Amino acid sequence: MELIFGPSTQKSSKREYDAIVIGAGPAGLTAAIYLARAKLSTLILEKLVPGGLAATTDKIENYPGFPEGIGGEELTSRMEKQAVNFGVDIALEEVLDVDFLSNPKVIKTSDSEYTGRGIIIATGTSPRSLNVPGEQKFRGKGISYCATCDAPFFQDKEVVVIGCGNSGIQEGIYLKKFAKKITFVEFLPHMTAEKVLQERVRALDNVEFLLNHQVTAFEGEEKLTGVRVKNRETGEEFLIPADGAFVYVGLKPNTEFLKGKVEMDEYGFIKTDEKLKTSIPGVYAAGDVRTTMLRQVATAVGDGALAAKLLEEELGG
Amino acid sequence: MGLLKEEDRKYLTSEFSKHIKNPVKIIHFTSESNECMYCKETMEILKEVEELHDLITLYIYNFDTDKDMVEKYGIEMFPATVIEGEKDYGIKFYGIPAGYEFSSLIEDIMDVGEGKPDLKEETINTLKDINKPVHLKVFVTTSCPYCPTAVRIAHKFAMANENIKGDMIEANEFPELSQRYNVYAVPRVVINEDRYFEGALPENQFLNEILEALKEG
Ligand SMILES: Cc1cc2nc3c(=O)[nH]c(=O)nc-3n(C[C@H](O)[C@H](O)[C@H](O)COP(=O)(O)OP(=O)(O)OC[C@H]3O[C@@H](n4cnc5c(N)ncnc54)[C@H](O)[C@@H]3O)c2cc1C
Repeated sequence: MELIFGPSTQKSSKREYDAIVIGAGPAGLTAAIYLARAKLSTLILEKLVPGGLAATTDKIENYPGFPEGIGGEELTSRMEKQAVNFGVDIALEEVLDVDFLSNPKVIKTSDSEYTGRGIIIATGTSPRSLNVPGEQKFRGKGISYCATCDAPFFQDKEVVVIGCGNSGIQEGIYLKKFAKKITFVEFLPHMTAEKVLQERVRALDNVEFLLNHQVTAFEGEEKLTGVRVKNRETGEEFLIPADGAFVYVGLKPNTEFLKGKVEMDEYGFIKTDEKLKTSIPGVYAAGDVRTTMLRQVATAVGDGALAAKLLEEELGG
Repeated sequence: MGLLKEEDRKYLTSEFSKHIKNPVKIIHFTSESNECMYCKETMEILKEVEELHDLITLYIYNFDTDKDMVEKYGIEMFPATVIEGEKDYGIKFYGIPAGYEFSSLIEDIMDVGEGKPDLKEETINTLKDINKPVHLKVFVTTSCPYCPTAVRIAHKFAMANENIKGDMIEANEFPELSQRYNVYAVPRVVINEDRYFEGALPENQFLNEILEALKEG
């Protein structure tokens, strides 16, 4: 039995900082550790819970240093404690608006207003939805985006996992500890998950794979009873009976509140140069939120360190 | 003993010393029924927490035999845990406060020991005007990182206004209740039976949901 708790963060009345980090996932926490060790006063603003998306994954096996793998929450709560130990303030407030053109820069949150000489954006991503009929209706009534949270409701039930990338396969393997049967649905003709994960999932009993299939609707009355899919080759449509569906079809950047404030790519990811600078001086982006080729804890942590170091230099050490 | 690591025990004791200024009573209702999934484990956790600070006292009652206490605290199921300060604020945990919910338990104890909920001024002011009963049921699982946010807000609101009661309900241990309220994703917050929402909303949006529910009702 695990007993989880984070460092209790005393509410600080301080409003002016050298550096403000938006988002307390692996990228933001790492950036803050480096900033605080450079003796810059540092605040992290986090809208949900410290740890970010990484905290919602059951096990992280590819982050170096943990040969047996490590629970996502355990890893990030260690990062959080480390940041707090070096004197970082963490406030659980959502950033709603920013003014990057004033000096110092102004950050408006759900609770308050802060200023920072330098800013690191590390707001990560949220699960993308499929936008097919029934998805809104059955959200929380069978459709879920967090396996670690909701898996126990599907004990001995039939479940569909949508998306065969790393996240889908990994969470599917976890779900199989609860569910009786899992059908994996993938739009592409092949899985995109790491090879070790593919081997592991194929070795499980009572799993089925529908590659090159597209989800067209979620069906049910009060709650979800099935997922309608279409074979992309033959065009044949059919219903997979299911009590639950877990959606892992990619990620959308958490950048709504930054529209028009920094340059983004067509999907809303923040564009940076190789120094992780955004289009605005003194504003950097790190981790999953930026246009990048790989979105993992290891890359997020690397980004956080680099952005912090370069911001420190820009602020004049 | 030994659920908590030595370093965690030390850390929590020092945090408690910073926050706890008034006595905190943990009023616990247990049962010997073998229907109780985690009664033994829940008691173990609470005993360890009691050890962490002198001002924390654990009182243990039997759900089946201590009828007057069950009635006094309005306990409906077991295991149940009430966190009481100078009065009973209406802060309850139904089921085991383990996993992520351990952090809800710890932070509730700090708030109650401090004698005031950790809420914004405006929230406290708006809460003052609520004069009808509000019963919040927060369904959780112990492996849900977003759930403590919802539990904590419900409990803080309960502290701020005596018309508001907040229950954490660990969905696995109460499957029938979870089914009755159609819980398939957590956190799910049920407000006075009819209205509900899912997910961890920030303080002000959570408050709005309550105000809307009161308008409807
Ligand atoms: C199911 C799943 C499994 C995964 N498994 C692995 C794995 O095994 N190995 C691996 O390396 N990676 C894995 N990943 C990827 C990994 O979780 C991410 O790459 C990593 O979390 C990125 O870190 P980040 O700090 O950039 O962003 P995030 O972790 O997304 O953190 C961003 C934070 O910013 C906050 N935020 C957003 N907007 C605001 C705002 N306006 N104001 C304040 N705060 C805000 C968010 O609440 C969040 O806490 C997995 C991801 C998923 C979804």
